[in-house]
Amino acid sequence: MKIAIRMLSIAAVILWVVILFFSVTAVYSVTNLGIDVGDVQMLPSSNGIAFSLPFSITNNGYYELADLNLTTRVTDPDGTVFDVTETFVPSIPRGSNVNATHTISVDLNSIMSMDHVSLLLNDSFFNVDIFAGLNFAQAIPAQISTNATIPWGAPFAQFSTGRVSVSPHNSTHVEAEMPVSFENHAVLDITGTLKVEVCNDSNEPIASGVANINASSHQSYADDIILYALQQDASALTNSGNIHVIFETPVFVVEWWEQNV
Amino acid sequence: MSEAISKLFLKEAFPRILKAMVWGSVTILVVYWLPMMLYPQNIIPIDYATPLSQFAMIAVFFAVAGQLFSGTVIGCGFGVAKAIVVIAYFFVISDGGIFSVTLPISGLTVNLAVDISVILLMVVSVNMLNIAKNLLAAIALLTEKSNSTDLT
Repeated sequence: MKIAIRMLSIAAVILWVVILFFSVTAVYSVTNLGIDVGDVQMLPSSNGIAFSLPFSITNNGYYELADLNLTTRVTDPDGTVFDVTETFVPSIPRGSNVNATHTISVDLNSIMSMDHVSLLLNDSFFNVDIFAGLNFAQAIPAQISTNATIPWGAPFAQFSTGRVSVSPHNSTHVEAEMPVSFENHAVLDITGTLKVEVCNDSNEPIASGVANINASSHQSYADDIILYALQQDASALTNSGNIHVIFETPVFVVEWWEQNV
Repeated sequence: MSEAISKLFLKEAFPRILKAMVWGSVTILVVYWLPMMLYPQNIIPIDYATPLSQFAMIAVFFAVAGQLFSGTVIGCGFGVAKAIVVIAYFFVISDGGIFSVTLPISGLTVNLAVDISVILLMVVSVNMLNIAKNLLAAIALLTEKSNSTDLT
């Protein structure tokens, strides 16, 4: 009986030593982790905007970090998911350094296809949910989660059309000038073709005009678009009706309706 | 009569009290003072001083009680109770093995969840060994006592 008790005591002491050793070295390893997160860079990409987040992890601890998984989910204020991006680092052995970049691509085409015209006309924000998980020492899984908001600058903020001024063009047509103005709050330069169709009360196009737009980021744009209409429709140009605005770039096409003033 | 009580106190109780005081002091040094010295509160942004002090109180209480009643069945009972209390305490503070905490970092609310079920399993194992050891010790004491009673 006494031998059994002694053996149990020795086993308990050994286990306590293992627990204490592992706990102390684990805490020491965590405090010696070097995590360096760079500045978020917003860059224009081929199909929209890319948010690039470089980060590096230096493992100066005693244990390996495995299965590092960084996931971000971007949603609009209504909760619609725009993007889910995952960056995976399989292993960070002890004494090593890993550099990685987490890139979130916001595809403008998908924004347009989801009928988010309000994002083009009004400043808003995106919610970004961030999840990071890793396996410490192949024994202790840990997860960090947080959320943040990213301001969104509308490319056609405060879009407005002014009063149309009509003048005779030839025997059949009149020429009208429509002032168009907006502020490009986006990080991208806006380059494309802006087509404006003025419609009558029955929403039938009675005049149209095209202008090439080149609005730099964070700059205002104001110009007149020349429209041509039949003489009999001249009065309808200045009456209340709807204006169909179509903006085309090589990447996407977006259209919306404005009220004629 | 009083002289006999004094002698008994000096011979039996005083060494136990002294031993219990020493064990209590050593326990508080190892369980509370040493970790706080190695890892001061400002290193990790988690309030671990409060649970550590609670654990230190439990450890000191059972160390003192165990030494005061060492070599008795009551001492073994305290040993079993200590193991059960430590298991329960670790279960409660680790929320069943998933330790989660919310930290405010740079204006963001960061939720941290750590699965320490492996450590919890080790703590439970070592305390189960302690329970077994104390039960065997109690059985051994009772057997010894009954054998000596039979002889007299």
